[in-house]
Amino acid sequence: MNARPDDIRAADWFAAARSGDSGEGDEQSWLKWIADTDHQRAYESCELAWELSAELRSSPTLTVLLAGADALVSQQRAAKRSPARPQWRLPVWQVGLAASVIAVGIVAWQFFGRPATTEYTTGVGEQRTVALADGSTVFLNTDSVIRVALGSHLRHIELARGEALFSVSHDPSRPFEVHALKGVTTAVGTQFDIELIQGGAAVSVLEGTVTVGASSATALPAVAVSAGSGVGYTQEGAVSELRPAEVNRIQGWRSQRIVFNDLPLETALAEYNRYTHTPIVLSNPALGSRHINGVFHIGDEAAFLSALDQGLHLKATRGSTQTVLEPQAGFEP
Amino acid sequence: MKHETTQVSASPADASYPLDVSVPVAAEPIPDDPSHRAYVTTLFNRHRVSLQRYLMRLVPADDAAELVQESYYRLLRHGEMVRVDAMARSFLFQTATNLARDHHRRRATHRAAQHVPIENEEIVEDHLGPDEQLAGEQTRLLLERAIADLPHDTRTVFLLHRFRDLTYPQIAEVMSLSARTVARKMAEAIEHLSAAMSEAT
Repeated sequence: MNARPDDIRAADWFAAARSGDSGEGDEQSWLKWIADTDHQRAYESCELAWELSAELRSSPTLTVLLAGADALVSQQRAAKRSPARPQWRLPVWQVGLAASVIAVGIVAWQFFGRPATTEYTTGVGEQRTVALADGSTVFLNTDSVIRVALGSHLRHIELARGEALFSVSHDPSRPFEVHALKGVTTAVGTQFDIELIQGGAAVSVLEGTVTVGASSATALPAVAVSAGSGVGYTQEGAVSELRPAEVNRIQGWRSQRIVFNDLPLETALAEYNRYTHTPIVLSNPALGSRHINGVFHIGDEAAFLSALDQGLHLKATRGSTQTVLEPQAGFEP
Repeated sequence: MKHETTQVSASPADASYPLDVSVPVAAEPIPDDPSHRAYVTTLFNRHRVSLQRYLMRLVPADDAAELVQESYYRLLRHGEMVRVDAMARSFLFQTATNLARDHHRRRATHRAAQHVPIENEEIVEDHLGPDEQLAGEQTRLLLERAIADLPHDTRTVFLLHRFRDLTYPQIAEVMSLSARTVARKMAEAIEHLSAAMSEAT
């Protein structure tokens, strides 16, 4: 989408008006500019965006993003007080401390014996909110299984299948560990999502900080991951570099929506098919490279198919076990 | 017990909708300051058409016209303001938006209090949204996504100014940028968000 010159100029004027200094010379050119109806319309859109954005203040996505911005401010202010000490790196002793907290947790758990385990599941297309006895909440996505054991020194969760978003109540005396494959994500009080994917797991942190590491004792030290970031790890527990958290996708599934932000159709269908027993497949794999944008209600297949029909010129044929997408005549790859 | 409040009288067009919300008795009187009155009147007349068009994107057309008037009286009552047109316009539009939000909330409360048949209820829900906010679900999602999509520095500038009320010079200091760069990044952010708004409406 290319911005029109009027829109760019409008945004410039809008930003300038908020700078707090405005000379007399600017006033004359402003009055001349804003007298034009097209200019007014462009400027109204800026005002609308500005005013309505205020209502997002407490949305989960903004909360996460604001935490990032706040961290920057406090870092900068701290750096000002003691310029000699670099503030941006997690000190080694903190990683060590986290590791020892986990170690103590494991020892305590083994010492006191395994607490009772409860299993929670969802079927394909289902979602479920589980309130745990410690005040934490687990949102289970489609086709998922968790096993929960709340001990007096450790909160032990196993993600056996699917995906879950964890909102962890603050309790420093009882770390909250989520085991998935051979990796373990440890939190004290925070919100994070883990999805089991092909060949590994993906962790996204929405609030606070967690550590992610291999569950075996000989592995590399855990990586600290804070709000707005995420990591992936393999079956074997090898952890990737930090990357942005999948905030949009997670907020999407939490509100029964699938968000496709310019995704290849192949990836989008894989995501969509997590929620249905009759998967949507392509008649020709070459179609998978077409890109798709949009927000869809989980379970509203008609709307999804209609978007594919109109946006990507794909015709759907429903069978009993799957739905096949074919290009409309004239739109073959 | 005696109620220390007055019933707001609904305008004739609104007769079917007595706004049953109670507000404190008459706001402060309009200050007698001819120069302020003249400034507000000029400002208002210059931006009146634009303001009405803006409000029509937030509330039904009839209500928009009413809110335009109300905004004018609010500004008259407000007393001194910065006499730089773009800044004064911001204040006018912010005032109008707040009035629209109050209005929206009153309507929501009013309708919620009534016994509505189920088939109408769906429509009411859809129109109002659960939070009594002006931005509908779709708009919120688009704005949220637009903010999340901003380049990191641009987004930080926007967030600190919008939600933490930091001034451009303060942001410039925190981020080690020039104030001019901060203004440019704000413009980028606003342009991106306003494009998302055009998508929404």
